Amino acid sequence: MSLVPGLGLVKGMALTLRRIFEPKVTVRYPEVRLDVPHKFRGRLQLLYDEWGTLKCETCFQCAQACPIECIDMGGIDTRGRYHVHWGAPETYGERREESAMRRSGRPVPDPAYRPFEPIAMGEVDRILEEYDHDPARMLHILEATQDAYGYLPVAALKRISHATGAWYAMIYGTASYYAHLRFEPATASEQAAAVADHRPAEGEYLSALGAALEGGGRPGAPARA
Amino acid sequence: MVTLLKTPATWPRILLARSAEKDPTDLDAAVAAGAFDGLRRAIRDLGGAATIATIAASGLRGRGGAGYPTADKWRTAADTDADRRYVVANGYGADPASHTDRTLMLRDPFAVIEGTAIAASAIDATEAFIAVRGEDSDVIARLSAAIGAATDAGFIGADVLGSGRDLWLAVRPVQGAYMLGEETVLLKALEGKRGQPEQKPPHPATVGLYDRPTVVNNVQTLAAVPWIVRSGADAFRATGSTSSSGTVLVQLRAPGKEGIAEVPLGTPLRDIVKLGGKLQAGRTLQAVLIGGPSGGLLPPDALDTPYDFGTLREAGAHVGSGSVVAVDDRTDLLELVGVLTRFCANEACGKSIPCRIGTKRLAEIVARREGGLLRPVDTQLAADLAHDIVESALCDHERLATFPLTSGMRYFGSDFDHANRPTPVATEAAR
Ligand SMILES: Cc1cc2nc3c(=O)[nH]c(=O)nc-3n(C[C@H](O)[C@H](O)[C@H](O)COP(=O)(O)O)c2cc1C
Ligand code: SF4
Ligand code: FES
Repeated sequence: MSLVPGLGLVKGMALTLRRIFEPKVTVRYPEVRLDVPHKFRGRLQLLYDEWGTLKCETCFQCAQACPIECIDMGGIDTRGRYHVHWGAPETYGERREESAMRRSGRPVPDPAYRPFEPIAMGEVDRILEEYDHDPARMLHILEATQDAYGYLPVAALKRISHATGAWYAMIYGTASYYAHLRFEPATASEQAAAVADHRPAEGEYLSALGAALEGGGRPGAPARA
Repeated sequence: MVTLLKTPATWPRILLARSAEKDPTDLDAAVAAGAFDGLRRAIRDLGGAATIATIAASGLRGRGGAGYPTADKWRTAADTDADRRYVVANGYGADPASHTDRTLMLRDPFAVIEGTAIAASAIDATEAFIAVRGEDSDVIARLSAAIGAATDAGFIGADVLGSGRDLWLAVRPVQGAYMLGEETVLLKALEGKRGQPEQKPPHPATVGLYDRPTVVNNVQTLAAVPWIVRSGADAFRATGSTSSSGTVLVQLRAPGKEGIAEVPLGTPLRDIVKLGGKLQAGRTLQAVLIGGPSGGLLPPDALDTPYDFGTLREAGAHVGSGSVVAVDDRTDLLELVGVLTRFCANEACGKSIPCRIGTKRLAEIVARREGGLLRPVDTQLAADLAHDIVESALCDHERLATFPLTSGMRYFGSDFDHANRPTPVATEAAR
């Protein structure tokens, strides 16, 4: 709090006023490049597709970039995961339009809101204790949590966010990036398939190199003159 | 374990000099063969500034792909004011088809550890990490055993070699994406964050791990450092080419033979491909793919190109992951380019527009070519798009992702011309 009430407002307006009268400059991009701040993402705008539904994929990139943690969202993401949001579901419209459902591979009629599964928190708390509630060791915390529960329950992520002080969006961003982390229980073979599905081009790349050495991209391909 | 290819006796052995040891984690045998002499000399005789000067005089350049002068990186990190500094040895080995870094770490873990220790002492860091693939339990086990042995012997840990300074080394397994090999992404992963690159500058040497100055070097770069400090900068300068000294590990795949060879920089491609033996009777060499999934395709005419950072870049390829693949005339190059471009598009992180959309569009154009459905504007579109991606990319991955297609179009234009490709209808009719 400043000593004079309203001083902050006056300061802000003064800055605006000064900026209004500054000369405008057009930078000749790409010959001249300005320094872009670390979290700059251009103008944020929610776009609609040709059918009038939101194009947002609930990928959380904007929420991770937001410097004051004011962006949040709820619903399902492209990989079919519900309740990826942090706050209470009433505070935003859950993304459950048909197109969003279809994009994420969910059955379309799914009107009921299911709160995420509760879990026994003992294990998460033990893991958090072990890693000193240190957000810098998030990958280890997540890996240990997955070892303990078999997957990453949303309830655990929320607890980790509370305990470490890391934003849910950041934790979600980390958890959804690495191919070996998962949000649903899976058997070993399902997990292997999920990792392969996450990175489909790797297998193709390796087998193409193998094929190139055996001779020919396709088996039985004729030699070319 | 991967085979080591036999190389001509005149090629120096620097990285794999100790690779014949029976047990690579046997510290006494390694010390008898010269391990940790370099560290002792760097700490007792040289000190930070002189060590960096030695590396500068040796002309050592980064083996991670870009060939950035190692001493410049170290000097920047050492000169930046900070309360802590870090060294990260990049042993991730992003290219799933190249086992060069992993072979080095398995065969001579002490060289990597000693190099990392010298780097840390030169920039005054007390903590260093060796980042490796989380799924590679052999490498993790071997490095951990070697670090344990070196710590017990007092080469690293508290009060290194009686110098009064501490130096803690740890193996850090990471996994789950190709991009983790890129330095800023690797640092993100070590901090437990989503693996997306940062804009450079600021380079990690000024703002790196936990925002502290950090030297990120490939494990091959670091493994060459002890040799340089021990044998002198001039001896190192005498190997390799004038613009880049020393040797690199190359993962060669040729019809009939594959393996790893230690190759002096500047060696003509012809000599490298020759290590792979003869082609099958009646086959001719069609192209050489250099640099891994984002590598460039070079024609047989280009076999005189020296294997070197600058010359390969000019020719449209890059050292990259050290992978060299010789393909004979049965391979459909267009299909190969399709696979490579798809791989790069698929592994793009999604942070910037050239990355998220540019690489996807590039893969679509290649898919249209492959399918024989090329649109008349596509050739120009591909060239323009590739140019735009290179100009506006956030990290090197997008820039390199254009290499397979642009080098293919440059050298194998007729293969990439839609007029020469059967349309799907014609293929059907021919069956
Ligand atoms: C897509 C991509 C993948 C990379 N993968 C690796 C890798 O697997 N190993 C590596 O050492 N460097 C890799 N690099 C290069 C690193 O960003 C970095 O330049 C290097 O580790 C620095 O070490 P150096 O100075 O010793 O070359 C990669 C770069 C890009 C753009
Ligand atoms: S969540 Fe992703 S898709 Fe949705 S608005 Fe944010 S950045 Fe765009
Ligand atoms: S791969 Fe996404 S910005 Fe480079």
